[in-house]
Amino acid sequence: MPVDTLSTRLTGLRGFYRAGYQSVLAYRADLLFGIVGLVIQATLTVVVWRVLFTGHDQVAGIGSATAVAYAVLAACLQAVVMPWQFSSLPLRVMRGQIGVDMIRPRSLISQNLAQAGGTMVGRLPLGAAGLVTGLALGAVKAPHSVLDLLVSVVSMALGVANILTINLLVSMTAFWTLEIGGIMILYRFGSAFLSGALIPLWFMPEWLQPIISWLPFQAQIYAPLSIWFGTRHGADLVGTLALQLAWVMVLFLLLQLVWRRAVHRVVVLGG
Amino acid sequence: MIIEVADLTKDFSRPDVRPGRFAGTRSLFTRARKVTRAVDGISFQIDDGELIGFLGPNGAGKSTTIKMLTGILVPTSGTVTVAGQVPWRDRRRNARTIGAVFGQRTQLWYDLPLRNSFEIIRDLYSMDPATYRTRLGEFTELLDLDEFIDTPVRSLSLGQRMRGDLVAAMLYAPRILYLDEPTVGLDVVAKGKIREFVAEINAGRGTTVILTTHDMDDVERLCRRVVIIDHGKILYEGDVGMLKAQYVTSRDVVVHCTDFDATTISSPFAQVVSADTFKATLRFDPEVTAAPKVVHDLTSRYPITDLSLLEPDLEDVIRQLYTERTPVPARGTGA
Ligand SMILES: Nc1ncnc2c1ncn2[C@@H]1O[C@H](COP(=O)(O)OP(=O)(O)O)[C@@H](O)[C@H]1O
Ligand SMILES: [Mg+2]
Repeated sequence: MPVDTLSTRLTGLRGFYRAGYQSVLAYRADLLFGIVGLVIQATLTVVVWRVLFTGHDQVAGIGSATAVAYAVLAACLQAVVMPWQFSSLPLRVMRGQIGVDMIRPRSLISQNLAQAGGTMVGRLPLGAAGLVTGLALGAVKAPHSVLDLLVSVVSMALGVANILTINLLVSMTAFWTLEIGGIMILYRFGSAFLSGALIPLWFMPEWLQPIISWLPFQAQIYAPLSIWFGTRHGADLVGTLALQLAWVMVLFLLLQLVWRRAVHRVVVLGG
Repeated sequence: MIIEVADLTKDFSRPDVRPGRFAGTRSLFTRARKVTRAVDGISFQIDDGELIGFLGPNGAGKSTTIKMLTGILVPTSGTVTVAGQVPWRDRRRNARTIGAVFGQRTQLWYDLPLRNSFEIIRDLYSMDPATYRTRLGEFTELLDLDEFIDTPVRSLSLGQRMRGDLVAAMLYAPRILYLDEPTVGLDVVAKGKIREFVAEINAGRGTTVILTTHDMDDVERLCRRVVIIDHGKILYEGDVGMLKAQYVTSRDVVVHCTDFDATTISSPFAQVVSADTFKATLRFDPEVTAAPKVVHDLTSRYPITDLSLLEPDLEDVIRQLYTERTPVPARGTGA
């Protein structure tokens, strides 16, 4: 009987990670339409933002090229990480499969995170399609320096951790109510706006910016992209990363807390 | 003793919602709770390698008990020990010891081909590739998985899905297998396959099996011992044969004849319940008269061409047990 080592843990989760991307690949037509959709979205994004900027060199201190590139990259990033893409958890709760999931040799949280990670990998072709389109239209800008690139990759990783955790948190509502459709829609639109996926924080009203910049959502897309475009320096840059990290830790703690309540519901109240 | 259950009780408590306007909204605020006792102080023991039938009508508390044995539910009171462990205390450790199939639920991955689910389980339980290949090969043969192993689970028939679930539960060779109504809603052929498989993993591999079912054929073919519960309490625990012997108050004998009118048959030991020209059915009380005596009486007095003694029907026995609903002291083997 295998003892629990790091290697058995990783092997255990590999299965879920694979299930994640295999589930994306299982729906070939969906994937194909998604790719076509992203080509169209990237093209329209470039066209619309260029029109918006005609006659302006800068808006809120941001140049046209940066604004257009931000919009394209945000669309690509969002397509891959899908801040509103939920784990299969609600479905498994509704189908009553969750009991069996709980008596697995890996925790339910890691099962779900691994699977969501796999789903993201499965959706990479979408992001790639948008990126290629943006490049072809000359709308993508590389970071100013290798350092900016590296730091923004770190920031993206923190953003992904943030998204995975919030998605799972929202999905866990399923333990309390079967009517999670409304909550999902609210989260979907809320996060699209608050993460900066639709409009960068630069262009938001002055009074709104400080509020949003403290929320966890901006850490998903706005933070890594603003670093990519070299708009964060020194203390601001460090502060951005620190806030991202802090949110990931807080969210993860919250996840454990909510999970413990959810387990209590299942094992004592019977789901 | 691989499983020990003592005084096991489970209460479910739900908000008590009185019907009426805003019932749904009020349920969020009401503090009144309604308690259902699903399992009510049951005790039993299961030996290593046993195949035990866990029977009872709908709502008797079978699934609730199985869920406590697997560690999915925490009991309200009482104790459960499975292979020396308390199942809900360390679910992840307990996981490798047990396999479970819940008939109406699947543990498989809906969107993926059946094979992928098996691979996920292989990884999850850190199976080495060679063992995995051998075992999957054997199971594939036993259950004829070949024709649908590459089909997505969502497109499988119930019988195919159930076979997939069985394999998923047994791949990592747990010592104990819990089956909660694995044959419900299946056709005869699928039921047969599943019974064959269960018999093989029990007899051939020494897996302890706890089988919940409504199907008395399952029980007659697979189980020597049963635990019968109703309203959360044990009605009977012991040998299937003993149960029949104890509960069968009448048995039927059917005689066929060609040379005389069967309607004229009579016997001091049995009552005619139906008769036509060629066939008569007689009923007797086995407590009063032993079957051989009845048979001898009939065959010595009439030129009978064929005679058959009907097996007591377990279905009837169980039905009778449920109606009387008084616990029977177990006679014979037991635990
Ligand atoms: N989660 C639950 N909450 C409240 N009552 C439940 C729950 N699960 C089962 N029950 C009740 O407990 C009793 C036993 O149910 P169950 O164990 O599913 O029976 P069986 O499997 O024998 O049909 C039933 O009365 C059922 O309504
Ligand atoms: Mg049941």
